[in-house]
Amino acid sequence: MTRANTFVEVSLAPDPVIEAYKKDVDRTLLRERLKRSVEERLRDLTRLQAVAEELRRAGRETFG
Amino acid sequence: MIDFETAFGVLSRAGVEFIVVGGTAATIHGSARLTRDLDIVYRRTPENLRRLIAALRPHHPYLRGAQPGLPFRWDEDTLKRGLNFTLTTSLGDIDLLGEVAGGGAYDALLPDCATVKVFGIECLCPDLDTLIRIKRAAGRPKDLEAVAELETLREENDR
Repeated sequence: MTRANTFVEVSLAPDPVIEAYKKDVDRTLLRERLKRSVEERLRDLTRLQAVAEELRRAGRETFG
Repeated sequence: MIDFETAFGVLSRAGVEFIVVGGTAATIHGSARLTRDLDIVYRRTPENLRRLIAALRPHHPYLRGAQPGLPFRWDEDTLKRGLNFTLTTSLGDIDLLGEVAGGGAYDALLPDCATVKVFGIECLCPDLDTLIRIKRAAGRPKDLEAVAELETLREENDR
């Protein structure tokens, strides 16, 4: 399936590179994510961002 | 880090017409990937530019990665002269996109969006196929991984 738009036509047909990447996707993690509400997903992301920010800060402080 | 609840509230209360795209839209669809900013496609009508300016002005928007002290003016003329703006704000990093490859501008994207109610606020988010098109069109290496995850989510939804 293709769709014309302002810039490019983008196919949704299977792409061998993307298919190769899909082998590494953690489906069990995604199934857990899909059980959560949209609000919970965004709150989880905010928490994850805070953790990542703190780890970056600690890394900068320790390793410069 | 971005406070999504506050950012959505600020934009919504000001009546800004916007569509959530990028990693945040992927999160809405169930992605487990970490994103650091909020990407939105904004409608480029004069009224909406004024709303967007008024909404973000109290949150000190500035060009992300630019040296401090540049004569960056957060006003309608600046938005009219540009299209996509990567900003730091006191709400967190926000990317304002006038249009996206694979999706086009606000009005072109609109038919492929659904209204998502989150934190009591109604936001527009592209459907999964449209989000995949946008990510495929972006074509950066990191997008390939993101597309693989989104396509897996589509398969999981279809199970």
